[in-house]
Amino acid sequence: MSSPFPHLLPSSPLSPSLPLLFLPSKTLSPRHRRRSAVTAALQWNRKPQFAGETPRVVVVTSGKGGVGKTTTTANVGLSLARFGFSVVAIDADAGLRNLDLLLGLENRVNYTAVDVLNGDCRLDQALVRDRRCPSLELLCISKPRSKLPLGFGSKALTWVVDALRSRPAGPPHFVLIDCPAGIDAGFITAIAPANEAVLVTTPDITALRDADRVTGLLECDGIRDIKMIVNRVRTDLIRGEDMMSVLDVQEMLGLALLGVIPEDSEVIKSTNRGYPLVLNKPPTMAGLAFEQAAWRLVEQDTMTAVMVEEEPKKKGFFSFFGG
Amino acid sequence: MAISGDLKVFVGTFASHRPPKPPVPVSKIRFGRVLKGASDLRIVQKWLQAESPAGSTVKHSQVCHGMGGNKLSPTVNQDAEGFLLNVVNMNFFDRLSLAWRILFPTAKERNNSNASIAKQRLKMILFSDRCDISDEAKQKIVGNVIEALSEFVEIDSQDKVQLNISTDTDLGTIYSVTVPVRRVRPGYQDSEEDYSGKISNIEYKDTGETSGTVDVTFDFFLPNKK
Repeated sequence: MSSPFPHLLPSSPLSPSLPLLFLPSKTLSPRHRRRSAVTAALQWNRKPQFAGETPRVVVVTSGKGGVGKTTTTANVGLSLARFGFSVVAIDADAGLRNLDLLLGLENRVNYTAVDVLNGDCRLDQALVRDRRCPSLELLCISKPRSKLPLGFGSKALTWVVDALRSRPAGPPHFVLIDCPAGIDAGFITAIAPANEAVLVTTPDITALRDADRVTGLLECDGIRDIKMIVNRVRTDLIRGEDMMSVLDVQEMLGLALLGVIPEDSEVIKSTNRGYPLVLNKPPTMAGLAFEQAAWRLVEQDTMTAVMVEEEPKKKGFFSFFGG
Repeated sequence: MAISGDLKVFVGTFASHRPPKPPVPVSKIRFGRVLKGASDLRIVQKWLQAESPAGSTVKHSQVCHGMGGNKLSPTVNQDAEGFLLNVVNMNFFDRLSLAWRILFPTAKERNNSNASIAKQRLKMILFSDRCDISDEAKQKIVGNVIEALSEFVEIDSQDKVQLNISTDTDLGTIYSVTVPVRRVRPGYQDSEEDYSGKISNIEYKDTGETSGTVDVTFDFFLPNKK
């Protein structure tokens, strides 16, 4: 499946001076060329097919901190919004807030879910809509300036998700919950309303051990649909046999693979700017990988890992020399 | 002399100092496993600069290795010089076999790469984490095993029965219960008197249906006369 390339779209589909090599080759009179340009543009702008029931509540978790949960939530959420689905991203970390920084929306968060629960504001006031991509909305839970303990539990989060489901504007297609690190109360809160999980891990041994533990906890909680995204993959180290390959990771954890994201310095740059990676033109490697992972998430598809290492050399005629 | 360390060789072909010749790209040959602790190598450009009248190619190479088992070499640069001095003193066939082993590492050398070490460790850790059993369950297992075995054997002392959990590379998690046994219960004992006169291990080589003759081998037990 190829992901759409929006930068190939002509800027105004109705202008007669279209680059004809982007259109399928059809012999048409100039009068019909405008209409075929629009249909051709729509063909290039393929959308993934939505699978599953609306809304799909997905929790992005990992266990170990710092493997890229918030980055994944932001980029996958934005990719989903660009495909045309309505997405609500919830930052379920009740103490430390990060998802708004990654999306560049930190100045616009006025109300949080705590205010909604207290009755200080309506739900749609707490949802921050992204101006770059209007189908994405952000909901934060924590109020960093509040000194009182928040006491935001799983019932509260479930209530919020149900409220989103039954809001007058219609339920969103996707609800992405960014889980805090660890396996304590914050984690339990975040996985409570979810039906599926995306486990983000890196190919190193510490993250994999924690990911395995988290898998056990998720299955105990009743979430069976767990897919994996392997982040920060360095193919040069894998080829040099210094890092475990994605095939090894899949074998160890036994989870379906949603995506493989290469290590990209663009991640840091885009976090600093507040401009998510997938919006970059031209798209970077990590951005493309995120888009493909989002595509697979929509269609409930998985990928198979590819062997990066070379085949070991077969022993030949001169094997009597040693080895 | 056995090369059993991690070997990374950068073989660079360097053009001479004549500007019109285009620079030859540096090719990197990687082989063997990665040395623990000295895994990044740098090309030493001033090594082995051989001036030849044609001046076309000059080989720059830097090698780091560990000699003999798991001993780590002190520094990368010192070893490069030492290694090459040793290589120069070897005879032709030794050098040839060294080169062969460098270029085509054995399966054992490949298995000690960082990735495979990590994979082994992770396997062990995952197995032991996944089979984390509570103490209460351990006591129950021991109790059930004692009860099941008591029907057949007499157990020496119930306190000495132990449950051990260990991991094995092939099988995974192994639960072993050690039970000291005093003797087998009378009903299940394997006694000699039962065997005298007993025919066992009967094998029919020819049952006689077609040929009319029967060919049979069997074992007949005779006790030793004491």
